[in-house]
Amino acid sequence: MINIYLLICKRFIFLVLIQVLIFNKFDFFGIYDPYICLVFILTFPVKLSKISFMVIAFAFGLTIDLFSNSLGLNTAACLTVAFFRSYIMNFVFGGFFDPRGLKLIKNYISDSSFSQKFLYLTSVILIHHFILFSLEAFSLKYISTIIYKTLITALLSGIFCTTLIYIMIENEK
Amino acid sequence: MIDFILRKKDVVVYFILLFLSLSFIFNSNYFHKSKVILFSNSITNYTNEVFENIDWYFELKKINSSLVEENLILKNQLEKFIEKKSIDSLKNVAFQYQNAKVISNNLSSFKNNLIINKGTKHGLKNEMGVISSTGIVGIIDRTSKNYSSVMSVLNTESKINAKVKRTSHFGTLEWNGLSNRDLLLNDIPETADIKIGDSIITGGMSLIFPEGINIGVISEIMKQEKFNDTIMKFNINNQVKIANIEYRENYLNIEVKLHTDMNNLNNVYVIESLNKDEFENIKK
Repeated sequence: MINIYLLICKRFIFLVLIQVLIFNKFDFFGIYDPYICLVFILTFPVKLSKISFMVIAFAFGLTIDLFSNSLGLNTAACLTVAFFRSYIMNFVFGGFFDPRGLKLIKNYISDSSFSQKFLYLTSVILIHHFILFSLEAFSLKYISTIIYKTLITALLSGIFCTTLIYIMIENEK
Repeated sequence: MIDFILRKKDVVVYFILLFLSLSFIFNSNYFHKSKVILFSNSITNYTNEVFENIDWYFELKKINSSLVEENLILKNQLEKFIEKKSIDSLKNVAFQYQNAKVISNNLSSFKNNLIINKGTKHGLKNEMGVISSTGIVGIIDRTSKNYSSVMSVLNTESKINAKVKRTSHFGTLEWNGLSNRDLLLNDIPETADIKIGDSIITGGMSLIFPEGINIGVISEIMKQEKFNDTIMKFNINNQVKIANIEYRENYLNIEVKLHTDMNNLNNVYVIESLNKDEFENIKK
């Protein structure tokens, strides 16, 4: 159990630093930053209870917010994704999903089809980005801009998150 | 009731935490003043500054050449004044400049902010203008002891008074959230004789910026097609373009290309208006 918390702690610090110091300054096409911090939520151990998951995701979002000067936005987005993750996993992996957490995220990735992995990744990323951008703009006037921006940023985040998750799995072997 | 809460405890925890984070967002001005946030902000700003200093080292060459270019322009301007011999440097100084460094620059959100490394300790206050060597950057909206946050022109809330240099028509500059170079100039009447390529400068009406600071050039003048939604269709050179702006009849919709490259900001200048109190008093 202590090992799990140590692992979470390591990922927490690593992902906050890499997001804040490198990826927040990427600015693809001028204004698009990939959100690689979602790897933290995508690969969070299923074993821990949902409440502790939400509290840790809240703290994670808040830390990123403090660095990027956008108090509360990432917090709300990360928290919501953390809340919906078990429903998404239940929907995507179906009977394969095991809420007691005997399986690791690694097993989910190695034992599922491409479409399942793709659906899991895109739904988490799209929910996060849509909440983040709509809270930020907070006006119906910008709804088309919000959707446009969500799609482009989701594409970038998807590419970077997939790469990082595969690197993490390869490293564990 | 207690049974219900215990059964749905993760939903309850979710809504409590969500409420907390939403209150962070909507009271952000209040929370930014609280001690905890001030303390953590000074830590995060410090780390950002340390890493930005490393970045600086690699960009020194570029910064140097831009400073030399600016010096050249200023020297040329100075030459004109020396010939006139009528300028007294102590008389009628309405604006004072201070230099500052950008330590964190945000571009990816709808409400972009910059952090600069000077604060109330150096005499900075809210609503002071910030410019770079090539044009305007933004307006200070929050200050702490050592740092200030600047609302960038790339912020959907920012409204900057601007005018067309050739015809002296005044308008308001806004951002639509789509590109890091394009802004929208509103409130210019349809009758105005405006062409693509006209330069846009600050209007000097609000005393935040002095008159005549470069903003950009007009890149497109849009005429509305028959739609009237929040998502508008425009006809430019027989090409239909969709833009996300509010269309108003009898006014032109003008797209302005910024001079300042917001992705590469290093040295900026903060403008203090010395006559501002007097101006505010007479406005009452």
